[in-house]
Amino acid sequence: MKALALAIAWTWIALPLGWGVYQSVQKAMPLFTGEAKPAAPSRQVP
Amino acid sequence: MHFLSREATVAKAGFNRWLVPPAAIAVHMCIGEVYGFSVFNVPLTQAGAGWTIPQVGWIYSIALFMLGMSAAVFGKWVERSGPRKTMVVSAACFCGGLLISALGVKLKMLWLLYLGYGFTGGIGLGLGYISPVSTLIKWFPDRPGMATGMAIMGFGGGALIGAPLGVKLMEHFKSATSIGVAEAFIAMAGLYAVSMLFGAFIVRVPAEGWKPEGWEPKEHVKPMVTNANVAVDVAWKTPQFWCLWVVLCMNVSAGIGILGQASKMCSDMFGVSAAVGGGFAGLLSIFNMGGRFVWSSVSDYTGRKSVYCIYFLLGAILYCAVPWTQQIQGKVALVAVTAIIITMYGGGFATIPAYLRDLFGSYQVGAIHGRLITAWSVAALIGPSLVNYISTAKIAAGVPKAEAYNSTMFLMAGLLGIGLIANLLVRPVNPKYHLKETPKT
Repeated sequence: MKALALAIAWTWIALPLGWGVYQSVQKAMPLFTGEAKPAAPSRQVP
Repeated sequence: MHFLSREATVAKAGFNRWLVPPAAIAVHMCIGEVYGFSVFNVPLTQAGAGWTIPQVGWIYSIALFMLGMSAAVFGKWVERSGPRKTMVVSAACFCGGLLISALGVKLKMLWLLYLGYGFTGGIGLGLGYISPVSTLIKWFPDRPGMATGMAIMGFGGGALIGAPLGVKLMEHFKSATSIGVAEAFIAMAGLYAVSMLFGAFIVRVPAEGWKPEGWEPKEHVKPMVTNANVAVDVAWKTPQFWCLWVVLCMNVSAGIGILGQASKMCSDMFGVSAAVGGGFAGLLSIFNMGGRFVWSSVSDYTGRKSVYCIYFLLGAILYCAVPWTQQIQGKVALVAVTAIIITMYGGGFATIPAYLRDLFGSYQVGAIHGRLITAWSVAALIGPSLVNYISTAKIAAGVPKAEAYNSTMFLMAGLLGIGLIANLLVRPVNPKYHLKETPKT
């Protein structure tokens, strides 16, 4: 019974948190796959 | 209402303490939604009421301000009332605030959103944030950093859930006559109420004198860890409290400066699209969440003072490395550097309750934590303003966009330097402040 209560409690929070992480990873993918426009040339520090 | 009282939540013999962290996380992952509130900003300006982004932005600012204020003002009440009653009141305020805001959108009255999500919801944020802290510390005297780190990790995770949930709900409820914001608020109020009340239902406080099996408090504790207790009204008058206030304020100011501007900063530095910049911000949120658990758990072994020295020293070095990542056009290097910075930002939040427990004991640690959170409210104003103001001024002065953030990064490193000094000044609390006898809770 105690093990079941523990499993329910941890699943209760793990599911939404896991979903949130998945959503963020998906959103982050373009960072590694998307094409970047060329940035302004870097000014050399003397 | 006996069910809500502290006495009703005292755990029976054999209760498994690992049920308490999910109770705390169930509350924190809901109120952490505040970090993702910005997804409603643009839709609210399209609600047909003529609201502007700066006007709508005040909802978030009021909520964060009220978070700090309510945690400071109601801290003692939270300690007296126990976690269950506090979590229920927090749920009522936070979810009630969402409902009032939904009404505000329907009636096109902005002040109802300020009152709802900002004022009422902000009180719910403050109460919910501190509600499980002292309970967790009492359940996990052997690993207080890990325990509070788990709860505060939930707050970081709340943004990961809240932002996409808000977007999906608005898409779902969008119609020819509605932008879907009010309906999204109502749905979120319902979902969050269920989760927060679940946390309130399963939370328990340990019986007086309970300790983990096989664990004995050390007679000769480390110099920076006390077995004594200091009352909240005394604690906040000690130099240690104000040193930690500066520590938290500087750590948060530096971190929030990056986190709040991550998307725009990435776009400006590397010329990438807004979508890629948004992905960068999302990635940082994951590290923000993970850092809360990892670093606060590490602090149980290294000690709190040492771990904050790592945050400040390593953080300052990494901030100075950000301009270098732009010079070499290293996107991956930027991600790596800022990801580590943000883990330490989250770690700073999560380690502070255990630091307070070490210095002031566990008697009113939740209330002391509540007062310390005012540092967060101040930092929420300092950090983003500094980044915004300086980068805008640099661009106006003709500095290329890609390099406009360099001086800000050096300034953030300076803020961490101030935090380091404050941390090094922390000494054990003078025994004259210790309670002679700790009142029973």
